[in-house]
Amino acid sequence: MLILSRRVGESITIGDDIVVTVVAVGSNQIRLGIEAPRQVRVLRQEIVQAIKDENHAAANAADCTRRFGDVVKQLRDKAGERTSS
Amino acid sequence: MLSNSCVTKPVSAPAAEPSAAAALASGLLGREVNFPAGLLGFPDCQRFEFSHFEAGDGVSSPFFVLHSRDRELSFLVIHPDWVTLDYCLPLSAEGLDGLGVRCEQQVMPLLIVTVRERIEDITVNLQGPLAIGIDSGIGVQLVVEEYPLRFPLIVK
Repeated sequence: MLILSRRVGESITIGDDIVVTVVAVGSNQIRLGIEAPRQVRVLRQEIVQAIKDENHAAANAADCTRRFGDVVKQLRDKAGERTSS
Repeated sequence: MLSNSCVTKPVSAPAAEPSAAAALASGLLGREVNFPAGLLGFPDCQRFEFSHFEAGDGVSSPFFVLHSRDRELSFLVIHPDWVTLDYCLPLSAEGLDGLGVRCEQQVMPLLIVTVRERIEDITVNLQGPLAIGIDSGIGVQLVVEEYPLRFPLIVK
C-alpha cells in the first residue's frame, strides 16, 4: 500500500481525472473531498463489503424451494391489505 | 446525448400494483441478462438466465431467479413493489446509458432475497438493488446507501 502524508487542503491525484483532497482533520476522523468523473462510483468501503457479504449469503437460491408456498401466500395477503386500504 | 426529461428523476416503483412487475418481467423471461461488471463479490458472474421461480406447489410466485451461466449459483429476486411501496432506484442519465435504455420505464428493478431458515428471518437487500434494461438485457448492481441491507420480506 502506498502511504502518503498530506495536510489539510492538500490533494493527491489518482490517474488522470481523480483528485482526493483532505478537507478537514478531527480527533478520530478526516473529511475527504473527491473529484471524479460521473461514471466512477465512489462508495464507502464497508458498505460495498456488506453488500458483497450479503450477495454471498444470498447466492444459494437453488435450495430455497422449501416452504415457499407459504411465503408467497403471506406476500399476497400483505399486498392485498395494502391495495385495499 | 439524452434529453428525455424522465431521466432526471429517480425511478419510482409503480404504486401499489405488483402486477406491473410481471409485465416488466415478461420482457426478460427466458433471456440471458448480462452484468458487465458482475455482481458485487462475484465479478466473474456476468451472464445470467432470468426465469420465473416456481414455488413447487402450483402457486404462482412473485419471485424470479437469476441463474449464473458462469458459476453454479443463483439468486432469488423480487420486484420492490412486493416489499415496499416507496422505493426508488437512483439512476442518472449515465446510468441509463450504461443499461442501454432511454428512460426509467425500460428498467426492471429487482431486489435480491436472502433466504433463511425461518420465514420471518428472510430479508431483501434494498441497499444493493439490481437494475436491468428490458430491451438490452444489460444489468448492474447499484449501491443505495440510504436503504437498509436487510429488510424483512414479510413485515409482521
